[in-house]
Amino acid sequence: MATYNAFTQEWLDAWKQKIAESQEYKEIAKDWEGSVALICNADPPKNVPKPVYLFTDYWHGDVRDFLVCDGAKTQTGNFIMTGDYARWKQIAKKELDATKALMQGKLKLKGDLTYVVRNVKTVNKVIDLLTEVNTVWPDDV
Amino acid sequence: MQNGYSGKFLQVDLTDGVCSDFTIKEERLKKFIGGSSLAASLYLERFDLHANPLSAENPLMLMNGPMVGSGFPGSSRFAMAAKSPQTGIWGEAACGGNFGPELKRAGYDGVVITGKSPRPVILSINNNQAEISSAADCWGTDIYETTDLLKAADKNIKVMAIGQAGENLVKFSSIGNDKAHYIGRTGLGAVMGSKNLKAITARGNQAPGKVNEEKYKKTFKAAISEIKDSAFAESLHLMGSDAIMDLGMMNGDVPIKNWSIGEDFELSSKLSGPTLTETYLTKAHACSNCPVACKRVVAVKDGPYQTEEGPGPEYETCCSFGTMIMNSDLAAVIKANELCNRYGMDTISAGATIAVAMDLYEKGIISAGAADHLDLAWGNMETVIVLLGKIARREGFGDILANGSISAATHFGANALDYVAHVKGLDLPMHDPRGYHGMGLAYMMSNRGACHLQHAAMGMEQGMVSWPQLFEMKEDYDGKTSQGKAQMVFDSENYGILGNSLSLCHYVLYCLKPETVRDAFNAITGYNFAFKDLLECGARDWTLKRGINNLLGITVKDDVLPKKILTALREGAGADSVPNMKLLRDEYYTIRGLTPGGMVRQEKLLELGLPELKEKLYK
Repeated sequence: MATYNAFTQEWLDAWKQKIAESQEYKEIAKDWEGSVALICNADPPKNVPKPVYLFTDYWHGDVRDFLVCDGAKTQTGNFIMTGDYARWKQIAKKELDATKALMQGKLKLKGDLTYVVRNVKTVNKVIDLLTEVNTVWPDDV
Repeated sequence: MQNGYSGKFLQVDLTDGVCSDFTIKEERLKKFIGGSSLAASLYLERFDLHANPLSAENPLMLMNGPMVGSGFPGSSRFAMAAKSPQTGIWGEAACGGNFGPELKRAGYDGVVITGKSPRPVILSINNNQAEISSAADCWGTDIYETTDLLKAADKNIKVMAIGQAGENLVKFSSIGNDKAHYIGRTGLGAVMGSKNLKAITARGNQAPGKVNEEKYKKTFKAAISEIKDSAFAESLHLMGSDAIMDLGMMNGDVPIKNWSIGEDFELSSKLSGPTLTETYLTKAHACSNCPVACKRVVAVKDGPYQTEEGPGPEYETCCSFGTMIMNSDLAAVIKANELCNRYGMDTISAGATIAVAMDLYEKGIISAGAADHLDLAWGNMETVIVLLGKIARREGFGDILANGSISAATHFGANALDYVAHVKGLDLPMHDPRGYHGMGLAYMMSNRGACHLQHAAMGMEQGMVSWPQLFEMKEDYDGKTSQGKAQMVFDSENYGILGNSLSLCHYVLYCLKPETVRDAFNAITGYNFAFKDLLECGARDWTLKRGINNLLGITVKDDVLPKKILTALREGAGADSVPNMKLLRDEYYTIRGLTPGGMVRQEKLLELGLPELKEKLYK
């Protein structure tokens, strides 16, 4: 089974494919509109020397752009989620629930929280599908 | 006084119509702090524990904590306590709003009411003076009407009132503060009604002082910053407590059809916080000095369930009059909430009792004739609206339900009690222990019966909070595991109970760092409490109330979950999972210092500085 280095375009593409192939996701996310930018803060000791900027776009059960980008692009996201590397890794490995991370202040959300709460199943499904991507994390290398 | 306390308490004897002041030594305040903890200590010392809850001998206590009136976020809470007519054991409830701070400004840290007035009266407290006057104009009116009548003379007074349910001694009747905030649980409205006390009003202008103003300002600033930074606070502000409905449905927290179904996303989507916000919300409302403003103000302008603009339902009510009875019409929930507010009834127990009735009707245990020919089909809100009035007035079938779910089930016989979800006589709040086993233990061990607010188990187990500076805890608990939950519940009680004794809102407690809470408490009182001192106060509170309940006959036989919860669900996140009651209880008893029979051990009572309780329990 293929493995991917976290935060690379190939890794994002693999994640995007998992989502696109999921019939369950299509059904759950049929009402979702909007892009989600993910910002991972730099953590040099963990081999993340500078911030990572990712842009993911979802539309009524389909997936659109999934890009490694720059900071400016993330600011165009309908939702912007920011967190430390260790937290993102925990979330991607399902060691920490994303909603709990948000409530505990370990992830910061910029955007319409009401919309996220209403669509929490969609958010969780997207993360569930990320766990299916075989990922090599920077500090595991 | 300059240490958060007013320095005196009011004693009211309604039989003789006499009011007098009394004081409590600082040593005792340091041990019990305030709120329901201080009330329990007075109850044990001064009153006959075996008095009938609705007799003149049962005291009704209203207690502030030292932070009340300080202006600190979430510090508007106050507690009321008495022996509960609903459960027959220690009863207490707390609410926010503005009565607590006003009572403090009127010069009092608390009020202890005894006796029974020969006729309906109002107790008015105004700047160190208390007066008892006739309630002839108010008796028989609902809480909204009473509040309006009393405020007509002075709109600035704060009102605590009962409605028709309290007057008629409905076992789950509540007490309303300025229409919007309720002492809901354990039926304390009936205790007030049994004393012929229709309302208490407060008015004052003496701001309580703080020992260290500079330190207080610093912690206040930190608290505001932490609340602004909190996604939990933001969700409460935007959607109220019902913000958790969608998430709860996903995680197996939401009870459906009297605890018999595990998942129904269509139902929750129609009743959730986002839906309420988008449909009937007119504005958010805040308790005194609270920047979170989680309270909903709503209006239903069209259709059969129209309401005037007024207090909206909390999450618990959206379940008890929504998912629990298979009603997806949010307007009808709002109407039921308004009626409970007006009559003065706890929305959790009112909804839960009706859910039991619907269940028994479906099973043929309640016949149409027995139900006054009301159609008790699931989701029939026309019946619910009629029934709420009949309960409050104790008419026909309503009179049977007015005695609570256990009494009603006992009345109808067969295996009806199997359909009641309660612990120690208190109907379960709207969080399913099959999705969260720790909550199951917290229900089992809560001193007022099944409760979600005598601890912080929900915040910890559902991952809303992270307090590693207080005790070892996980960031992400597995809800469907019983192993290791005893320690979590123990810790969550010792800290969560403080919300009730400090008189600090649990939601705000969840948003703040524990050091901010500790520092604010110390700045106001001038004490120098460390975390361990605060947690010890929490442990003392729990143990004191447990000891009182032991004296009232509570033992291991009462620390049990109901059959409904010990029956696995077939669907949803809580499917095929029931709390391991024995494991949870055995581990908890060891940690808490209880004997296998559920009694507080003598050495634990001495360790926590409760020698008087030891004398009474082990004489």
